[in-house]
Amino acid sequence: MILSACVTPTQAPAAKPTDAPKATEAPKPTDVPVVAWAPMKQEVADCSYGGNVKGIEAVDELTVKITLCASDPAFLAKIAVPAFHILDKDYLDKTGGDAAKINEAPVGTGPYMLKEWVRGDHLTFVPNPNYWGEAPKNKEFILKWNKEAAARLLDLQSGNISGMDNLGTDDYAAVEADANLALYPRRFNNFLYLATNNQIKPYDDVRVRKAFAMAIDRQRIVDNYYPKGASPATQFVPPGVKPGFTDGFEAFKYDPEGAKALLTEAGFDFNQEYVLSYAERTRPYFPQPTKIAQEVQAQLAEIGVKIKLELMEWAAYLPATRNGEKGLFFLGWSEDFPDATNWYDVFLTGSSKSFGTPFPEIVEQIKIGATSADPAVRQAAYDKVNKLYAENVPVIVLANGVTSLAFNKDVKNVVIGPYNENFTQMETANGQLVFSQDGEPVSLYCADETDGSSFRACLQMYDTLYEFEFGSTALKPGLAEKCEANADGTVWTCTLRKNVKFSNGAALDANDVVASFVNMWDYKSPNRKGNTGVYQYWKDFFGPKALNEPAQ
Amino acid sequence: MSDEFEATIEAKSLLKQQNPAVEALRRLLRHRSAQLGLFIIFVLVVLAIFAEQIAPYDPIKPIKTAKRRDVPCIHLLGCPADQEEHIMGVDGNSRDLFSRIIYGSRLSLQIGLTTITFAILVGGLLGAVAGFVGGWLDDVIMRSLDVLMAFPSLLLAIAIVSIFGPGLRNALLAIAIVQIPVYARVVRAGVLSVRELDYVTASRSMGASELRVLFTRVLPNALTPLIVQGTLGIATAILSAAALSFLGLGAEFPTPEWGLMLGEERNSVFNAPHLVFFPGFAIMLTVLSFNLLGDGLRDTLDPRLRGL
Repeated sequence: MILSACVTPTQAPAAKPTDAPKATEAPKPTDVPVVAWAPMKQEVADCSYGGNVKGIEAVDELTVKITLCASDPAFLAKIAVPAFHILDKDYLDKTGGDAAKINEAPVGTGPYMLKEWVRGDHLTFVPNPNYWGEAPKNKEFILKWNKEAAARLLDLQSGNISGMDNLGTDDYAAVEADANLALYPRRFNNFLYLATNNQIKPYDDVRVRKAFAMAIDRQRIVDNYYPKGASPATQFVPPGVKPGFTDGFEAFKYDPEGAKALLTEAGFDFNQEYVLSYAERTRPYFPQPTKIAQEVQAQLAEIGVKIKLELMEWAAYLPATRNGEKGLFFLGWSEDFPDATNWYDVFLTGSSKSFGTPFPEIVEQIKIGATSADPAVRQAAYDKVNKLYAENVPVIVLANGVTSLAFNKDVKNVVIGPYNENFTQMETANGQLVFSQDGEPVSLYCADETDGSSFRACLQMYDTLYEFEFGSTALKPGLAEKCEANADGTVWTCTLRKNVKFSNGAALDANDVVASFVNMWDYKSPNRKGNTGVYQYWKDFFGPKALNEPAQ
Repeated sequence: MSDEFEATIEAKSLLKQQNPAVEALRRLLRHRSAQLGLFIIFVLVVLAIFAEQIAPYDPIKPIKTAKRRDVPCIHLLGCPADQEEHIMGVDGNSRDLFSRIIYGSRLSLQIGLTTITFAILVGGLLGAVAGFVGGWLDDVIMRSLDVLMAFPSLLLAIAIVSIFGPGLRNALLAIAIVQIPVYARVVRAGVLSVRELDYVTASRSMGASELRVLFTRVLPNALTPLIVQGTLGIATAILSAAALSFLGLGAEFPTPEWGLMLGEERNSVFNAPHLVFFPGFAIMLTVLSFNLLGDGLRDTLDPRLRGL
């Protein structure tokens, strides 16, 4: 059973906070009629509901305590991901957490605030006068989008925009030759995979999955369709994931003959046509979807497997794969934070039905890796996972991509990190910075979003407790001055920065943090409207289940 | 000179009562634009029939030794002999573009002929019935076809494909459906003008059934405009199919369909123009050839233009 207790502070106007520790907070002047501040708290007795968070509590106005069931070495990195941005509690109450309302007038603590969102065209940001950190160096930041890399490049060349995301593979030469443009590579861990759902025939047979994995010439794919610097995937995680990556281990060797023999042994029906689904959505790990899909189709044809390509709309594609409706499809992943849990836990523990059912022996090792703080112990566990991965082939990894951004040479002080860009620090001649990305943000309430196009917009307006430094994977304090764990790593106490104000003038306090997090955690939270109402990131990071999640 | 020649021909034909079809064909073969159109169509048909023999490579299998998006290499024009010959270059998936274009002609001709055949059969029948029977049936058929015709044709085709799901077969069906009203109108107009003629009345008075009158007396004499419209329609159909494929609603990868090839490489206009040029040029030539032939046919078959 789940026991939950929620103190609703709004209904206690004059009552003194009784269960709050008195130690840190100075007594308020009593002669002024001030509405007493009541700390919020949400906790459960244990983690039998299926997640890892046990309690979130405002200890005093500037202290938040988060209690976990099992220690999580990646905790700080997880709460630095844009989905965990902090919104004002009153604002959340006012909007009801409805993404549609938040889109109209977002309120955050970040360096910029939204001036306008012209649907289908661009977002305009202007500096937030209440920002607690260093003020932005440009007067206006415009975020545009175009799904065609070639069209973005044309915009850049014609001077309409100052910079662009994800340069097309075939456009590198043009940018290198152009004296007005500069190339900024982004190196970060990502992979493209060919997913097989082990609940759908013929992929329920491990020999079929393994044969497909062996039949694909990854080197050829990388050489032909990826920009320079990409590499064929040799094992489940990319080489940069440490602990996690097993040095010198190669899960599958390219062996079309062996693959064919394996398929024959498995009684594979070579006469049938098998559907391979994909969506035309360019990503750093998937630079040319249609070309790569055709290449894989041709390579599988060489061992006699007939593949029919099914090009789907992105909006229909993702739910179809997540619901386990597709047997064979392409997807990929770019890491959110530098820790192995962002790979193994997200993919191999069964938090979605994309790959069918998880393998218990793999899940067991991943649990060990996720909860230990000792790198050696973790690596040993992940070594085992990597071996088990090669034996069971839950998913076929193909390539680790790279991507590059291109900027006009006039833009000064550009720093591109794995997870962010220093837009606030970039300088242009006229004080206006225009950047073009792949797609329009889905909403501006990123707690309930999962895609980078939305995250980039949210990063400009909101802050998280911790942040990633510009240009690296290192963490620095954000809205929290510090977050400290207790000895066994299960209780995190965060002290918030003083005098932080939201763009509408409201002051930041611990209740804002609690309200923002509980909204993601608890299905019964009054403001849990969001965009889809799923709040996938919370489940991925602190799940697999959220609190009070209705059974399906 | 030529006027004199033509005059003698006319005179001869008057004397000999030559078969009008042969006469029309002869006039067609003398028509300049029809000559050009027929010639291109002939080449296309040869390419389509003998695609296996003419194409140097498999249109679908990537060539491992070729460089992606390589520019055309023609030995005769000075391309080094140690390089593989690719007359139209190599496409984005390391396939020989020339081979794909050749196989594409097969598809395009099939697309044009099947859709128009379907549209003519259905549209022609509807039009004939509407025109011949008349009355409320005429109203029902023609007004519903008017509704169909009121939609922009490509939009309607997109709507139909969205309902049936993408794929070449569904795209063809969509294009055919979109074209039905055109043929129905043409046939109906012909039938209306023919059905009151004396020989039809004569046939009827001799006891021929209505069906017999329709199919042996009325329809054959109302077909001429249909032939012209059909030829022009092939061009439209090929273009529509290419447009649907370009939008990702027609042929599926890796089919060597010209519109699909064009759509796939639409971003290469600047960095690999040959990938866009050749499929585009092939579509243009094919459409042009059928348009020229259609124009020629109209000139030769339309009695009002005869002798102009």
